[in-house]
Amino acid sequence: MPRETLDRQIHHLQDEVLLLGSMVEQAVIAAVDALVRRDALTSRRIYHDDQLVNEKRYAIENAILILIATQQPMARDLRMMAAILEVITELERMGDYAKGIAKITINLGDKPVPISLREFSTMTDLAVSMMHRALGAFIDENAQLAHEIPAEDDQVDALYNQIHRETVASMISNPESVDEANQLMWVAHNIERFADRVTNICERTVFIATGELMEMDTDDEEETE
Amino acid sequence: MNSHQISSQPPAEKKHVPIPAVSRAQTPETDGQHPIKVKTQDLGLYYGKFQAVGNINMAIQANQVTAMIGPSGCGKSTVLRCFNRMNDLIPGTNIVGQVMLDAEDIYAPGNDVVDIRRRVGMVFQRPNPFPKSIYDNVAYGPKLYGVNRRSTLDEIVERSLHQAALWDEVKDKLRESAVSLSGGQQQRLCIARALAVEPEVILMDEPASALDPLATYRIEELVRELVKDVTIIIVTHNMQQAARVSDYTAFFMVNEHRMGYLVEYDRTTQIFTNPKNKQTEDYISGRFG
Repeated sequence: MPRETLDRQIHHLQDEVLLLGSMVEQAVIAAVDALVRRDALTSRRIYHDDQLVNEKRYAIENAILILIATQQPMARDLRMMAAILEVITELERMGDYAKGIAKITINLGDKPVPISLREFSTMTDLAVSMMHRALGAFIDENAQLAHEIPAEDDQVDALYNQIHRETVASMISNPESVDEANQLMWVAHNIERFADRVTNICERTVFIATGELMEMDTDDEEETE
Repeated sequence: MNSHQISSQPPAEKKHVPIPAVSRAQTPETDGQHPIKVKTQDLGLYYGKFQAVGNINMAIQANQVTAMIGPSGCGKSTVLRCFNRMNDLIPGTNIVGQVMLDAEDIYAPGNDVVDIRRRVGMVFQRPNPFPKSIYDNVAYGPKLYGVNRRSTLDEIVERSLHQAALWDEVKDKLRESAVSLSGGQQQRLCIARALAVEPEVILMDEPASALDPLATYRIEELVRELVKDVTIIIVTHNMQQAARVSDYTAFFMVNEHRMGYLVEYDRTTQIFTNPKNKQTEDYISGRFG
């Protein structure tokens, strides 16, 4: 192989992307778990640890710039570099959603919440599963899988709609808990957006594999609600 | 006397080597603004019985830079030299197919080679100024074509040196020997010399490979400037150079019979970001060749 150095560096970068993905995955799972358990202490840690996600993202970005400058990747290699830059931005934003959820848990303190929190965990499991497989497809350059995953966003959206209805109903029936209901609505929103961003990762996988920049249509709840 | 023959068919005793389907690379669609300047049809070249290149079908657009890339021995320089009949000088060479310059078949019997080489100039890998003054190097071509008026020659020399981005550096020493110039300046002098006879096409065979990086960038900038007036076809081993200077890129490969053929020919932006052919992909990403 005439380009062992480049290949080695690309593999290292891919490992770093998976590591970043793992950090974000753990952050969102832990953030929702802490919400369900009403654990403000853990939420504070998650809130502050978002900085580590940001640092990792910048480290990868820097490594890619160095790789482009020193190795002059072309064609598929070049598309891979461009796609990683995009994907790490998505992952960092997904990390911000976990941070946002942690902040809401801190804000809620020990105030009673007006709706069941069980659906939040279900919604998170779905979104994290999508993200996990999307990153696997990204590293494997598996365009077919990348095409399939975004459809699962419908289940996340359905749960979001359900939580949305429940929070609105609770606001009407229980006006003194409007603030708490509103905060929970934001939690659901964050998880829903988290899943939306999985679609963007899938788009980049298709880009690496085919060179085609395409938008995968998913129903955007923000537009339909 | 050279024994080359010009014909539209391969000689009967020569066996046609089967050519892979990919050798019929599609000529990219023109953008409608640049007419076809040079066009080859089933161009092939034999050295004796050995077929060095085959089935080259390319339409090269006017006022565009077309780069030809590929591993050593793929025939890219050979194809380049077909565009102004430089291969005629090699004994035993036989060309098949057609090379059209505008509507004219440059290999048609009775065609004036000297006139073709005036219309299609050439710049070589190593700067090769004549052992004459800077002025005389540039004036050489026009004199050959019968320009003798001193004032006219002065104008041509100044214009050509300006075009080659060399005037400011040499205007006070036009009578000095060309070999006193640096390598990069000598190469720009050779470009000025080619420009002096107002060619329509300039062929460049690795024009910067003997130059340092700064001199290389100057040549590349010059190429982008010159292409406003002429059509440029450039052979380069430096893929980044092809990516930087060209509008279109043609990728050549050599088959198991050591015959060069065209694999893919497309817009440079397409070739370097998303080539259609796996061989092109492997070559430009440095995994083959």
